Order: sequence, then structure tokens, then C-alpha cells
Amino acid sequence: MSEPSLQNKMPVMIGIGEYHIGSEPMMAIGLGSCIGLTIYDKDRHIGAMVHIMLPESSGRTDRPGKYADTAVPLLLNKLSDMGSHRSSLVVKMAGGACMFEYFGNNLNIGERNAEKVRAVLAENHIRIAAEEVGGKAGRTVAFYPVDGGKVTVRSADGAAHEI
Amino acid sequence: MKLSSVQLDAMQELGNIGAAHAATTLSQLLSSTVEMSVPRIKTVDIAQLVNYIGEESAALVVFELQGEIPHGGYIIIYISRKSAVQLTNTMLGLTDPDRPLNEMDESALLEVGNIMASAFLDATAELLGFVMLPSPPALTIDMAHAAMQSLIAQMQDEIDEVMLFSTELVCEEHKIDSDIIMMPETSTLKTFVERLENLMKSS
Repeated sequence: MSEPSLQNKMPVMIGIGEYHIGSEPMMAIGLGSCIGLTIYDKDRHIGAMVHIMLPESSGRTDRPGKYADTAVPLLLNKLSDMGSHRSSLVVKMAGGACMFEYFGNNLNIGERNAEKVRAVLAENHIRIAAEEVGGKAGRTVAFYPVDGGKVTVRSADGAAHEI
Repeated sequence: MKLSSVQLDAMQELGNIGAAHAATTLSQLLSSTVEMSVPRIKTVDIAQLVNYIGEESAALVVFELQGEIPHGGYIIIYISRKSAVQLTNTMLGLTDPDRPLNEMDESALLEVGNIMASAFLDATAELLGFVMLPSPPALTIDMAHAAMQSLIAQMQDEIDEVMLFSTELVCEEHKIDSDIIMMPETSTLKTFVERLENLMKSS
């Protein structure tokens, strides 16, 4: 398998509420209060990424990737179906910013999204290896399963770093 | 909510009237000509939003629609980062197009946004026959998608798609390109359409 070629491939774009599982690079662009959650299987070099918008699904099932409470079990189950073991999973998350302070009903959705993700992961006895959440700035998150599950976060000025 | 072609035409005309007033105020502010595009109406699935409003850095001055319809949706004045500098340079009498934006720029952008949004809403509210007011503004200068996504997340209705009414306002002389975008809640849109249909019947 030629890993560099995979790494240079155009990433799969994960829009709001969407998810993807595989070994190809994935990217969620312009996360504000949304969360980009990545789960990497370090034994199998595959991974899953989801672009979560809201904390609670309140019983809705048509877009499970949109809500923290349904997105986390969705990815864990899909990875499990593909043969991943819980102990091999490396979880990272980024996003959950508050772009507009003191505005509108100011529900601080970003913070609630991050809290819900943490809570559901804790229920599943999975710890978060790295996270970069909160603040006032948008983030673009890229995920490279074949490159050791590398996760990079880019800000509006173009500066990127690994988490 | 799907709109018929007649309803789309009516909404386009509403956007046209609002944007024309916003363009006039911008033109007065800059003492220069401001050209206006035909208003576009787009229904966008939230998963595809990034194809319309991407990662680019922009100034967004946002307002909640208030008045007789509380939490009616949002009005967004979208100005690319480059245009934002051009705009505040023109207002503040500065010339460097590559300088960083500071607090003075932020105040100026809030002010321009306020004037444009108020003009847009005054004109549309007058036509519709009810009171619409902009909330106090909020500003971000960051990734445009991140800002829009955050607004969509806090909308009242649980939605998978948004309807965007956008009109481009361009000032050639000062190289300023901006968009005025209305993103109504579904209930607000219904009210708009009902009012417009009544107006057409009675005329």
C-alpha cells in the first residue's frame, strides 16, 4: 500500500451533520459552534469523522451525525462493525467556539456540544486523547488516518497545527 | 418550505426593495456609486452550506429580526476581509489596503452594518405593513462558514435546510464587495409570503 499517495488525495469533505469512515483524508471546514470529532483506530489505520451541530437529537433519527448524542454511538458502532476494538481507538475533537458573544438567545451551543460529546464518550468508557474547543474563532479540521491518525486544526489566518 | 414561482417572484421583489434602500445608504456613506445585483434566493441543505459560504475570512455583521415577529431569523451583512479594509479605509480616510483591522474598524463595520440592515428592514417592513427591527448587532471577522453555521445552530426551528435571500452590493470606485443576506425562520417566511399574497390580491 502506498501511503503517501493516499495522504495527498483530496480529502473527503464532511458537511454539517455528515460523517465518513475509511482511510482517506477527511476535512470539516469552518467549524464555529459545531464540533469536528475524529476517532482513529491505531491498529487498523482507519478512522471516522463527524461534523456535529447540536447536542441533543430529541428523538430525531434522520441525520444521526448532526447531534452529539446520536453521532458518538453511530461512529463507535460503525467502527465496531468493521472490527475495531474500543481499546485501539484514539478520539480527538475540535470546534465548539462561540463566534458571537452576547448575541441573540446566546445558548452557548458550542460549549454544550463539547460537553455532550464528552459525556457520551464517558458513558462508553472512552477518554479523549486531545481536544481544542471553545474560544471565539472558527476552525477547519483535517484528519489523516493513514498518517497515524494525525489531526490538524487551521484558523482563519491559515495557520495550522496538530492536536 | 417550498415556494411557488409566484411566491419566489414576490420574495425577490421584497429583497429587491430592501437591498435598494441598503445600497442607497451605503452609497451616501461612501459618496460613491453602489451597484446592486438581482436578489438571489437559494434553498441550501446545511450539509452543503460550505459550497456557498466557505472558509474565507470575512467580516459578518449580524442582526436578529425582531419587532412584531420575535426571533424572526437573521440579517447578515457579509463583507470579504479585503473589502472590509477598503470600506473602513474609505470611511476613516486611510489608504493601506494590507493593514490589520483594529477596534476602530470594528466600530465602523458595526455602524455600516447597522445603517444597512436598518434601511433594509425599514423598507421591507413598510411594504409588508408590520414592524421589523434589527437587534443590536454582533460582529465577527473570521471564517465565514463558521459564523453562518453558528447562526443556523441557534435558529428556533429544527432545520435541515435554510433559505438564503442574498443581494450583492458593489462599489467599484473603492473596490468594496458586500452581500446583504436574509435568513428567515420558516414561520417568518410564511408570514412574509402571506402578506405579499394579500398585497397582490388587493392591488
